[in-house]
Amino acid sequence: MATTGSTEDDVLDADGDVGSLHKDDEIESRVGWRYTLSQIRGDPTALGGLVVIAFMSGLALFATVDAVVFDILSEYQVFAQYGVRKYWIAETFWISPIKEPLETPRLLPPAPLENVYGQGTWAHPLGTDDRGRDILARLVYGSRIAITVGAIATVVGMVGGTVVGAVAGYYGGRVDDLLMRAVETLYAIPFFILVLAFIAVFGTNLAFVMVGVGIASIPTFARLIRSEVVSVREKAYIEAATAAGVRDRNIIRRHVIPNSFAPVLVQGTLQIGTAILIVAGLSFLGFGVQPPTPSWGQMLSKSRAVMIENVWYSIWPGLCILVTVVAFNMFGDGLRDALDPRLNN
Amino acid sequence: MDPILEVRDLQTHFFTADGVVRAVDGVSFDVYEEEIVGIVGESGAGKSVAAKSIMRLVEDPGSIVGGEVRFKGETIVSFEEDENGERTESEEMLSNREMRERIRGREIAIIFQDPMESLNPVFTVGGQLREFIEINRDVGESRARETAVDMLREVGIPEPSERFGDYPHEFSGGMRQRVLIAMALACEPSLVIADEPTTALDVTVEGQILEQVADLQEKYGTSFIWVTHDMGVVAEICDRVNVMYLGQMAERADVDSLFHDTKHPYTDALLDSLPRPDQTVEELKPIVGVMPEAINPPPGCRFHTRCPDAREVCRRTNPEPRDVSGPDERTHRAACLKHEEVFKVDYSASAPIENETSAGFDVGRTSTDTGAVDADGGVHGSRGGADE
Repeated sequence: MATTGSTEDDVLDADGDVGSLHKDDEIESRVGWRYTLSQIRGDPTALGGLVVIAFMSGLALFATVDAVVFDILSEYQVFAQYGVRKYWIAETFWISPIKEPLETPRLLPPAPLENVYGQGTWAHPLGTDDRGRDILARLVYGSRIAITVGAIATVVGMVGGTVVGAVAGYYGGRVDDLLMRAVETLYAIPFFILVLAFIAVFGTNLAFVMVGVGIASIPTFARLIRSEVVSVREKAYIEAATAAGVRDRNIIRRHVIPNSFAPVLVQGTLQIGTAILIVAGLSFLGFGVQPPTPSWGQMLSKSRAVMIENVWYSIWPGLCILVTVVAFNMFGDGLRDALDPRLNN
Repeated sequence: MDPILEVRDLQTHFFTADGVVRAVDGVSFDVYEEEIVGIVGESGAGKSVAAKSIMRLVEDPGSIVGGEVRFKGETIVSFEEDENGERTESEEMLSNREMRERIRGREIAIIFQDPMESLNPVFTVGGQLREFIEINRDVGESRARETAVDMLREVGIPEPSERFGDYPHEFSGGMRQRVLIAMALACEPSLVIADEPTTALDVTVEGQILEQVADLQEKYGTSFIWVTHDMGVVAEICDRVNVMYLGQMAERADVDSLFHDTKHPYTDALLDSLPRPDQTVEELKPIVGVMPEAINPPPGCRFHTRCPDAREVCRRTNPEPRDVSGPDERTHRAACLKHEEVFKVDYSASAPIENETSAGFDVGRTSTDTGAVDADGGVHGSRGGADE
């Protein structure tokens, strides 16, 4: 298609004219970020997802600065003398998400509502938890865990899966068999069980949970990119690069992966949602983040005992997980549409 | 003067589920400094595979199974035989790493057929050119960039520094092919293999590019191997020509002798099937039949199933190209038994074979079927016989 489409233009070009644009430009320029973004802008679902993701990421960033960065800075005298400490911003301007207040009633409902524990107040717009801590504050600080875990676990899975899948697909033969069979062995074990096994081996530390979820998602990415690589490696530009003396490593890195990355990017976006859900599930079971650090899954778990008396305590973290996961899925779907020209028009 | 590239009895076979495809089956030729050597033949004659074999770029299931390729004193392909006749790659052969670091791109560059596909769509044209220069010339980024812009100007890209940052899809086919030529020449290799580089372009652009290549070839003194199926291109650009048929060399001569003193019936047939400015004919004569498949080549001379001059003896003997040059000619080799004084066979005493126009296709097919038995060794046996 491309060949016949362009020959008419060649006559013009050869005279010294600037190359004219082709009909297939629209499809080919999907490699550009600007094009992808313009596609998403025209897609309300994806845009909605993006807005929610941006909002949640903003919250998470704020929470990370307040909870983690300040915690680290407080170790140094220079900063400590100005009063820098963990949850500095929250405690100065608002309310501590982790300290149990002495006089605040426990399990208050959202502001205007009333339940067996008392009348909700605007001081705690979403109510208080079983220790009297503000739910809104804990939700905000819980977003840090959700987003971080989703992003890090996905990056681990994406990098691992891309390397394994690209190497397997590019070399083919025995290398392919060896790597893909190993990866499929992982695939055969149910995701959740695999992650639990990692935790059993390495401990319930959040870092291991994230890496565990990441490793467990390697097969998905590896299989996805391998199938793309198998077709990309037959392209003439790969052969041209080989003929020009480019190392295999650089061919894979610069020519193979960038041309087969689109589906991985889409899957990655969807995977963030899944990872958030998995880690929330693990927190619910008591793995992952340990109290008093707030996380949505853990709040959900704590709220179980008082679900009848104060249903709001369960609804808020559940809603946060739902909204975030759905947002990532909506954005992922939009991204898929934007990156896959076959679905366009 | 020694040739810069010597190819001797090169054999590249593809091991497929249906059997061994002898894509290149004993091809020899030389390339001297500053000359353009053509490899001509129909589709499936093994031209591209031969070209790729020189760079050791043949991919699974194909592999080079025999012969020698020497380039400027380096051994690219070489085999040694043990007492059982088992062939193994000889130790003097360059390793894959040495091929990559010393030969590919630096000493031998290749230009592929499809300009639309040969550039990576996700990087800018200039970026790719710069990368290749950085790799093969050991220069820094800014120096490589300057060279890249110079090369783009050299191959006739207007406003090269502006076009440097454009993506391949913003270039037309002809301009992309110019970029690929720039890429091949940028590292000042001694030899450029051009694998049908103008086939995908229309004739106007083809003409301009051929002219440009001829100019650049003169300027840089690069040798070229020009793979093509187009006798017109050969006449325009090549100094010497190798005509391939079914994985073997049919004729090898200077371009003038090939056109005006053709010594192989296949070359004759090829030329008869083309309009020629120097000859007026009533109608063109296409070559009878189709090329048999390289999986079951016919026994004897591979062209005998379609050859107008075929005799009984052609069914039995597969001739190798021998020197049949006239008195005041540079070496002119042809692999045809009708030069019986050179091949020492009873060609004229042998009965002619009828290859009728209508029967051409069937004859080709039947012979390939019977050829299956011989293909495993008979062909080479008879070849050896003809060498005496």
